[in-house]
Amino acid sequence: MAYVATRGGARAIEQAERLFRAEMGEIDPARVNEIRTAMPYLIDRVMGEASLYDEDIAALALAQTGGELYEAVLLLRAWRTTQPRLQVAQPVQQNALFTHRRISAAFKDIPGGQLLGPTLDYSHRILASDVLTGTPFVPVPVDAAAQPAPATQPSVAAWQAANDLVDLPEPDLTRPDDIPDITREPVLFPSKRAHTLQSLARADTGGTLALGYAAMRGYGKAHPTVNELRLAEAEVMVKHPKGTEFSAGRVKVSQAEVVSKSGEKLSLGFAATLGWNEVKCISAATLDLNSKGAAKGSATEEEFFLYHTEGVESSGFCIHFKLPHYVTFQSSLDAMRDANAKRQAQPQDQEPAE
Amino acid sequence: MSQHHRDWAHSEVLGVLARSAPDALKPFAEELVPQLGDLEVVNSRTGLVMLPMRDTAQGTAFHLGEVLVSEAHLRCGPHEGYGMRKGRDLEAAMAMALVDLALDVGIAVADCHAFLATQRTDHAEQDRATLCRIEATRVDMETF
Repeated sequence: MAYVATRGGARAIEQAERLFRAEMGEIDPARVNEIRTAMPYLIDRVMGEASLYDEDIAALALAQTGGELYEAVLLLRAWRTTQPRLQVAQPVQQNALFTHRRISAAFKDIPGGQLLGPTLDYSHRILASDVLTGTPFVPVPVDAAAQPAPATQPSVAAWQAANDLVDLPEPDLTRPDDIPDITREPVLFPSKRAHTLQSLARADTGGTLALGYAAMRGYGKAHPTVNELRLAEAEVMVKHPKGTEFSAGRVKVSQAEVVSKSGEKLSLGFAATLGWNEVKCISAATLDLNSKGAAKGSATEEEFFLYHTEGVESSGFCIHFKLPHYVTFQSSLDAMRDANAKRQAQPQDQEPAE
Repeated sequence: MSQHHRDWAHSEVLGVLARSAPDALKPFAEELVPQLGDLEVVNSRTGLVMLPMRDTAQGTAFHLGEVLVSEAHLRCGPHEGYGMRKGRDLEAAMAMALVDLALDVGIAVADCHAFLATQRTDHAEQDRATLCRIEATRVDMETF
């Protein structure tokens, strides 16, 4: 491929950027704060896909890009590279999560019970159109229980293992600093499981849903049921220079286990992400459940779904087609015109001789 | 062994400070500065902490993503103070490090403990209020 340097677009480019930003107007701390507080689930989605947890920075990225999610995620991933990595925290353990929501669709009587937490799952979806004519929508406060829920909830899979329904995994004793990291090393196939789960944790929600949905509809080998879904907060356990471990604060995490019957036992798929994003976790766990032995090129094959749910790369590749391809396309046009000219220059078919 | 090691576990001191509201922590820590004398600021910066998680299906440890934190590291002779908190509030991280340092040196220990106790109570009340709202969403399932 040949490249040709061109110029003449600088003014247009500058004005185009101004035109884009003019629509958003001035961005100030009040706007960033309003986005952060009014749209927590959007903030969570962006933080998860950016693989960077900070509500203020995520809200700023959304303000600056006018809510163009791929641009916001790109901005955050780029900004992330300006920050040093100070530590790797201790791994989050499911049974230590400060749990806001924990349900199972597979088993009714799970230890700890079913806690719906914050959800619209069973609500009518009715647009509050009165807001537009001046009647504010004021949410009805929760009638809090007299006694608190337990802060932590037991694992559904551990209970299933006690009933000989699943085999519990051996604990992974990898030191935190030695856990494979796709931000530091390339993903090679077959992928390390740590790479697969990290990729899914930062995957594009829409892409993950599309491929997970394909598996759910029958283009996968196993039909998922949610074994356990959690929305929770995890303590970020870091180290003092003297070696004391302590929590530097809590971050929102979500995780899903999906289950399918496999012979005498149940098989599990798993996914988790920063922020609260149930659709992504269930979809990603479905892909995990279906990936073993999946046909090459199918939606549930690991290489296929990891490459095609990486939002920054896929959106970047998509929008690069807007950039000038004049040389490539001119070359094709020249070849087509040349072929046409040669065809026209050939003599007309002659009548066969008598 | 310094005073706070007897009364408060160091991990709890740091955890409470990391969660303390900046508008309470900063003014309290400012009062400690004149008592601490010359300080060396080893670090005052923002950075990232990678957060791993353990997969419950196969047990694999993997990275969820990175958390933006503020870090402050102080020295005062042989003593150290350290702060690390979620978010990008460098002043709050420095305030945390000042309290940690004061406890390590043995300055204003009673005041620090009183501050920590108040904060710990606040945090427990916040958690209880949250968990009471969560408990309200428990399903009392009946089958017919």
